[in-house]
Amino acid sequence: MNLLTAIVFLPMLGAVACLVVPKNLVRQVAVLSSAATLGLSLWLFPTFLGGGGSDATAIFGTSYGTLHHVIRLPWIMGDSFSIEFFLGVDGLAFPLVVLTTLVSFLACLASWNFNSWKVNKGIRAYFFLFLLLETGMLGVFVALDFFLFYIFWEVMLLPMYFLIGVWGGERKEYAAIKFFLFTLAGSVLMLVALVAMFFYSGDAIAAAGGSVASGYLEGVMLQHGTFDLIELATCPTIQSYFASGSTLFLGMKFATVMFMFLFIGFAIKLPIFPFHTWLPDAHVQAPTPVSMILAGVLLKMGGYGFLRLCYPIFPTGGEVWAYVLACVGVISIIYGGLCALAQTDFKRLVAYSSVSHMGFVLLGIAVMTKAGFQGAMFQMIAHGISSPMCFFLVGVIYDRAHHREINRFGGLWLTMPRYGTMATIGFFASLGLPGMCGFIGEVWVLLGTFDAGAKYPWAYPLAIIAAASVILTAAYILWLIRRVYLGKEREEYKGYLDVSGRETFILASLAVLCIALGIFPTQTVFNFTNGTLDLMLQQVTNAIAMVSQSAVSGGLIG
Amino acid sequence: MNSLLGQTNLWEAFDVGRDLFLFSPMIAMVCTMLLIVACPIVIGRGTRTISVAASFGIAVTFFLAWRVMGTVGDAAVSGFSAEPFLGLLVADKLSVGFQLLLMVFLAGVSLLWLMGSARTERNAPEFFILLIGSALGMSLMVSSANLLTMVIAIEMASIPSYAIVGFDKRDRVGAEASLKYMIFGAVCAAIMLYGTSLVYGLVGSLSMTEIAAFTVAQMSGGANVTLLGVALSCVFVGIAFKISAVPFHFWCPDAFQGAKIEVTTWLSVASKAAGLVMLARFMSMMCAAVPSELNMNLLTPLAWVIGVLAAVTATVGNFAAYKQQSVKRMLAYSSIAHAGYMMMATAVFIHPSASGAGAGMSAMLMYIVIYMFMNLCAFGVTAMVSWEAGTDDIEGFNGLIRRSPLLAVPMVIALMSLIGMPPMAGFIGKWWILVALGQTGTLLGWSLVVVASVNTLISLYYYMRIVVQMGIRDSGRRPAFSSPLSGLALVNVCAVVLLVLFFAAGPFKERVAGFSTSLYSVTVTSPVSHESLAVADQEAGQ
Repeated sequence: MNLLTAIVFLPMLGAVACLVVPKNLVRQVAVLSSAATLGLSLWLFPTFLGGGGSDATAIFGTSYGTLHHVIRLPWIMGDSFSIEFFLGVDGLAFPLVVLTTLVSFLACLASWNFNSWKVNKGIRAYFFLFLLLETGMLGVFVALDFFLFYIFWEVMLLPMYFLIGVWGGERKEYAAIKFFLFTLAGSVLMLVALVAMFFYSGDAIAAAGGSVASGYLEGVMLQHGTFDLIELATCPTIQSYFASGSTLFLGMKFATVMFMFLFIGFAIKLPIFPFHTWLPDAHVQAPTPVSMILAGVLLKMGGYGFLRLCYPIFPTGGEVWAYVLACVGVISIIYGGLCALAQTDFKRLVAYSSVSHMGFVLLGIAVMTKAGFQGAMFQMIAHGISSPMCFFLVGVIYDRAHHREINRFGGLWLTMPRYGTMATIGFFASLGLPGMCGFIGEVWVLLGTFDAGAKYPWAYPLAIIAAASVILTAAYILWLIRRVYLGKEREEYKGYLDVSGRETFILASLAVLCIALGIFPTQTVFNFTNGTLDLMLQQVTNAIAMVSQSAVSGGLIG
Repeated sequence: MNSLLGQTNLWEAFDVGRDLFLFSPMIAMVCTMLLIVACPIVIGRGTRTISVAASFGIAVTFFLAWRVMGTVGDAAVSGFSAEPFLGLLVADKLSVGFQLLLMVFLAGVSLLWLMGSARTERNAPEFFILLIGSALGMSLMVSSANLLTMVIAIEMASIPSYAIVGFDKRDRVGAEASLKYMIFGAVCAAIMLYGTSLVYGLVGSLSMTEIAAFTVAQMSGGANVTLLGVALSCVFVGIAFKISAVPFHFWCPDAFQGAKIEVTTWLSVASKAAGLVMLARFMSMMCAAVPSELNMNLLTPLAWVIGVLAAVTATVGNFAAYKQQSVKRMLAYSSIAHAGYMMMATAVFIHPSASGAGAGMSAMLMYIVIYMFMNLCAFGVTAMVSWEAGTDDIEGFNGLIRRSPLLAVPMVIALMSLIGMPPMAGFIGKWWILVALGQTGTLLGWSLVVVASVNTLISLYYYMRIVVQMGIRDSGRRPAFSSPLSGLALVNVCAVVLLVLFFAAGPFKERVAGFSTSLYSVTVTSPVSHESLAVADQEAGQ
């Protein structure tokens, strides 16, 4: 039994079980299956241990495309067609898989008080959809066949739609359909890219004589177009055909257009200004555990998509758009920060802070430097830990006060000391305090942007602006903490119970990770990711260098 | 008269035994109609009696079609002197396979009618005769290889449809719908007949192969083919009416609104599907004869016309569905949009490469299969909900997930399939159409890929309105209800089929691709009968 297959489909088994077990056992079954999935995913660790030392090559190989726990089964085959059930992990997917199972497990635990929710009908359906969503998310991170990736990407949509739409707040219907429409708009572009990439890779192989050696597999010959994401990125024939200025799609340069199609698809998910408007609505209306999943995992799919599809497959597209994307990233950082500053709704503030944090991810990737890629990846993981924590903190107080008006709170630290402490850790991690996880990602991205100054002169001013924007983050977080947790104890909140054992467990596990990642970034993240990221970057820069050598002028119209 | 049929050795070619066997499914349909006529005289006109007779007839037809399916091999009916029914009709996997599918669909629609309207309706014999009569017309449509039979088949399918729309004679809306439908249909039929007569005047034959041969001869001789183009466009109007392609779709909303929901299901799905298969056959027979050096002149403009029409049809259908309050009307408009998607695949036939043609054909056929199941499911649920609520308004779906989960879950699956979301079969259908379009590698192909994908997004919103009513809004006022067991079985089986067809996409694709290639071998290998024409002229001269 392939480990990844087990990880991906175990939640689905749990989902089916939720439909058949007696109603009072549904919660237990759901938590158990998400815990089992988490346990299984931890089994991946031994594969990647020691990635920082001399045996890094043994784990990550010498070129992009070294995979572990691979399973390849033919699914839809034809004369010139092979869609496979193809799963595998490398340093890019592995941390995100573990993050997904962890956040899902904690979010499942956060759903334990389902019966006391405002909308508490349909417990079976809730956990069924929740676990189905987990399968979809895990599938996205481990699928390496583009078709399969797309399927998982879409499978996720409907459960999420219902989780927001049925169990959400007052404007849930609007928020849910907005989420669905925005994401589907992105997937539609991705679908066009999916078809186009298959046929153009087929054309590339046909032009090269109809049989080409695989880019990363020994002794495999490609006879026709492929959906293999690694192949598309590593096969030199396909790469040079994609990058060629004379390869046109609807009259425009293929690499440039396809990069943009995929980029917009993922940017909506990340989300990046100006595609971010679904996020505050979805976050605010979703129930707490769903917000945790949204912020912790779903947003990471955008960043993962950039790193898995956009950059390795269309490096020249990345080069063409680098300036635009970096600018959009910086705009997101500042715009998200300013919006967060203006919010009076606790949850909305946290939602906008996500936009700001994800801006760093885009900036780091867009500049295409070692530190930039590493920082972006770290930022994704760090945000995947700190933001679910922040959303859960909001959820905890919302459960008690039934409102989220920041200005109506005050002095909560005195009323609920344990909660106040946890909240401080969570928000400081989000702020990017040195020693906490948020810091490393931001600093790495900024360093990466400065590094990029050598090749892109515009990177210096952007780095300075981005660095200065940290003050915004500090402003909205500190102001938030002052208004909610500090100050005089208020009469109306006096009788509130401090966080329960279950809530403490969720918060404490996230808090421990916040600190651990901040203090041991290398041991907890970089060792597992850098191998793959560096190899990928090396390939991307090589490809760009090759194209600029052959002096193809940049521009949208070929 | 000989040349009308495009054959000279008329009776020698007529292998009666074999031909009767090949067309036994249609003969069985005729017999079923006769049986239903006889029943009231001999036994009685009770709904139960008639439905037993009808189901028997449908089952026999299905069985016979199954038998025929086994014998029509890839090359069984190719070759000039062996063309069954003198080349007027063809029997290949495409036509017989369509009949099989049609019988499944007919059974589903009959079941719906028995559960619904039959409770208040006393005229079962008439209803089934009309229903099976139009099914017979559709079977003829997909088997026609001659303009004459095409016209007759379209009329055979249309005339019972006009009557069946206004079947409830006490219903003024239905009567009005029927009248509108008939007037529109009559005009289109007139235009088609006019085109057909022009074609006969020009070519001297109505056989598709000869028309194609004539076109090639004229074009390679550098003659002006404008008149022929006009004539064929007139013929196309008749087909477009059946497909309800924009701008020949105006009959749709009223006819679908006025008719009973079972009838709407039948008309919006089966008759469109038959029209599309007919268009596919028409195009492929025309194109197969045209040598590739003429492609650029004749076929590329043709592909653009059909492609643009398809894009407009899909977009108009989707936008028109947006504001509908009646789910029946919404689904009817959505079926126009889906007809547009399928027409896109027919635009690909025209692409010079044989692989492009095969891909387009099999994509369209697969879409038709999926389309039938997803619409049967969606219309079935809508029917049962509207019987309970007394209206087909979207409000009737309010809180359905609580009131009747066994209806709501299949409905969600059907709607997701209609949007084209994995893991439902609708996605696979759309996927193969996109692949067929992409395979052409032309500007037209890629533009249609973009249009089809964007249309998916447009359609999301109105399909989701139903989902919102079912799952999210629940006023709590409407009580739970139970539907007839057979109805629940019907929609749930359809939903399961939609899921299965997604996961079994590989074998499904292979099977259907086989159907489309068998069609091609028929048309490509049958020699164009220049010589036989010459012989006929000589004989006539003597």
